[in-house]
Amino acid sequence: MPVWGYRNEATSARSLVAFHQIEGLYVDRGVTFSELKGTLVAFAKQFYGSSIKYRFRPSFFPFTEPSAEMDITCFICGGKGCRICKHSGWLEVLGSGMVHPHVFKAVGYDPEIYSGYAFGMGIERTALLRYNIDDIRILYENDVRFLKQF
Amino acid sequence: MKVSQNWLKQFVDFDFTPDQLNEQLTMLGLEVESYEDLAKKYEHFLVGEVVERVKHPKADRLSVCKVNIGDAIQEVVCGAPNVAAGQKVVVALVGAVIPHNQHDPEGKPFRIERAKIRGVESNGMICSELELGLGKDASGILVLDEQATAGTPVAEYFHQTDVIYEIGITPNRADCLSHIGVAREIGSLVNRKLKMPETVLKESGEPASNVAKIEILDADKCPRYSARIIRNITIGPSPKWLQDILTGVGIRPINNVVDVTNYVLMETGHPLHAFDFETLASRRIIVKTAAQGEKFVTLDGKERTLTSETLMICDAEKPVAIAGVMGGANTEITGTTATVLLESAFFNPQSIRRTSKYLGLSTEASYRFERGTDIELTVAAVNRAAAMIQELAGGELLKGVLDVYPKKREPVMIKARVSRINSIIGLSLQKEQIVSLLQQIELPAGSSSQDEILVTVPSFRNDILEEIDIIEEVARMYGYNNIETKTRAAIDFSSHVRTDLLQDQIRNFLIGAGFNEVLAIGLQDEATMALAGKPLVKAVNPVSAEMAAMRTSLVPSALRIVQHNRNHGVKDLRLFEIGSIYELYTDKSPNTLDAYHEEERLLLLLSGQNVPVSFGSASREVDILDLKGEVSAFLSKFCLDNYRFIYYDNQESLCEPCMGITINGVNAGFAGRVRQQIAQSLDIDEPVFVCELKMRSIYDGWGRDRKFSPLPKYPGVLRDLAFTIEAALPQKTVEDVIRKAGQPLCANVVLFDMYSGQQTGSGKKSLAYALEFQSPDRTLTEKEIDDTLKKIIEAVQRQCNGVLRS
Repeated sequence: MPVWGYRNEATSARSLVAFHQIEGLYVDRGVTFSELKGTLVAFAKQFYGSSIKYRFRPSFFPFTEPSAEMDITCFICGGKGCRICKHSGWLEVLGSGMVHPHVFKAVGYDPEIYSGYAFGMGIERTALLRYNIDDIRILYENDVRFLKQF
Repeated sequence: MKVSQNWLKQFVDFDFTPDQLNEQLTMLGLEVESYEDLAKKYEHFLVGEVVERVKHPKADRLSVCKVNIGDAIQEVVCGAPNVAAGQKVVVALVGAVIPHNQHDPEGKPFRIERAKIRGVESNGMICSELELGLGKDASGILVLDEQATAGTPVAEYFHQTDVIYEIGITPNRADCLSHIGVAREIGSLVNRKLKMPETVLKESGEPASNVAKIEILDADKCPRYSARIIRNITIGPSPKWLQDILTGVGIRPINNVVDVTNYVLMETGHPLHAFDFETLASRRIIVKTAAQGEKFVTLDGKERTLTSETLMICDAEKPVAIAGVMGGANTEITGTTATVLLESAFFNPQSIRRTSKYLGLSTEASYRFERGTDIELTVAAVNRAAAMIQELAGGELLKGVLDVYPKKREPVMIKARVSRINSIIGLSLQKEQIVSLLQQIELPAGSSSQDEILVTVPSFRNDILEEIDIIEEVARMYGYNNIETKTRAAIDFSSHVRTDLLQDQIRNFLIGAGFNEVLAIGLQDEATMALAGKPLVKAVNPVSAEMAAMRTSLVPSALRIVQHNRNHGVKDLRLFEIGSIYELYTDKSPNTLDAYHEEERLLLLLSGQNVPVSFGSASREVDILDLKGEVSAFLSKFCLDNYRFIYYDNQESLCEPCMGITINGVNAGFAGRVRQQIAQSLDIDEPVFVCELKMRSIYDGWGRDRKFSPLPKYPGVLRDLAFTIEAALPQKTVEDVIRKAGQPLCANVVLFDMYSGQQTGSGKKSLAYALEFQSPDRTLTEKEIDDTLKKIIEAVQRQCNGVLRS
């Protein structure tokens, strides 16, 4: 059940201070980074359409390693670069990574036996991409002309 | 962090285009947030020579200049007082974007177009320093030196050939907070070793240890402190190249000594600090924590209150700097400083982070110290700075580095298992491949046993502490996007609609709208089912005559429910049902399965009063517009605007009048008033309104692929129009004609009045519409609206024979 999350971030056309967050965690024997990619790609194709382009970028989160951020082609400019994607042609949709061995140790799981992956994404950013909304702030302006469209 | 491409190229050769480097660094985890190509910024700017200047015929303050731009002579109108023939100037030609508009309070850039200025054609603009973004002078045009060649691109003339990248460095990669650090990552891409800057020191005979002494009293917070002393220097502004390179990466030039420390900071990532040596009491540096509550004035002139946790650099009498954060005003480099002590230390990252947070003061130095600098780099960094200062400010470099290093760094050796690397990433790399991948990023690795490699972690990589960190480096060097994408679970790629969930939503919506859900049995008596006017689907072996025929429509059984309720005195009904119907194709043999078709339908039914009788509001019988309203509300919710009502004559044997409904252009059902004789056959003498929709159409039309349409920024303008037309002509026809004729400005059409009576004449009706005119990109003019209204009126007259009522 996604709930309100808060973070220290400058509000912009693509980022909010308050947002809703979905988290996923999968732990088993022999879970690999390759499967993390597979699962997230399957999600992205199902959710955004099978023709989307995506990429995984190395990143840093204290609780996962290796860590990755997933980008998909910007829906507004189709990858040419615009205000929303900060002219990169890509939009970050989620953060993810392999559960850090320290996390397993802290909860009494042996990281030599278990491995796993985790991911998190803000629903608002997801909604932008899905519904072609070019400014995330409109979600909380509660303009009825906007609300009526959904 | 801002990074200069030219600077990077001092350390590693590469020939990526800015776009390629952007992509490559980003894929290594050094996210390029933006870049600025300075050469592009000065596209269409050329060096020009003013060959003739005459006064503008119609304006005293303007001049008309003929400017030689190498391969042509262009006429340019110029308003600057200082323009004169013979000058070499900067000409912005058509297409150039002036970086700074000096007539705009915000200085917003603008594009040069071919223009006539007071009747004289101008093919460009001669620019001032401010307009070029190269300085603050706006009093007149910038005059270049005489040696400049007409026709030279300005980017070349000003050596503005750099590309500046803005890179977001993740907190773990302190080693990348410098040009050498970023160059090392690029080196891993092109498989080249870094060319490190060469430092040539010219030391004098006097040892530095003769004139100064360094003591560390808190070795946990300061494991190493290195310093050098330079005497008899001349403080002054830095040369232009140094000022330019610092400005390029966002650092304000101050003087030659401070600029060198900043230069070395940006080059090596190691923060340095320069003290005015003469101000240090007893020529001593003592590194110790402050007294609780002690006050100290930093370089920025602010007084700070310290805690007993704050590490300070002190002399024999007083604190002189907040270690790793900011120097003190009492020992800062001034125009008269003759001797400097250059500090190059390593501070404990946690200690600096706490101090920086506590003081609310973050600097280029604290930012790097709190992430972890390279403890083995202190001497190289101070030597680099000393050599540069000597070159730029002269002076005598005392012999030797004062280097106090009480807590030596232990070598970090990490064992990494090949099997573990492969099992976490999901690869099957050989040991040799892994070793070679690690060597690409300067992580020397050797084989220690069959399944194990031993990595020697260099001192600049203080983020690598254990096996999992090595695994990440392997994954990074292998390339995240080269790692296979697979899943062990089966994942459904089809865009299957969860019909059960959608049905629940539909039920909740209708219940919320005041409907009661009914459920009728799928088998009815033949007489009831005959009302549907379709071939009967009979049970082969019915249990009773009451259950002899399957439903071919949900309407007849619903009429039975109305009848039952009326018999019990309940006449005001709002009912819905989701159920299956069964149809028989008469062109197929009734004994084969092919002849039958089953599908799910939704039925809505209204009868009686539109609102319950209550105090203060009048009630009335429901009518077909109530039904249309309910159906619209429902379909707007579930199928957005993908549905249409179509008027047609009597195609449905159950209803008269009747409307067809389409969803996404496909027939989805009907809505109308149950024929009077059918209702009366069940003793129902009040009107009953029904709508039957195919559930499949609702599922298919379910508005999942909705896209946002931007909200209009400019206000809409409202106008009303009324027409008299033939009574038989449906209003929808008129509305469509209006919408079409009103393109593209007419954004909305609403029928707000319908009247027929004496004033319209018999066989006629009057329709009144409210029209809204709107444009996404401008406020409309009166004329634009009037023109569109005229087109609409003509179209309605021509196509609907409508007469405008005035």
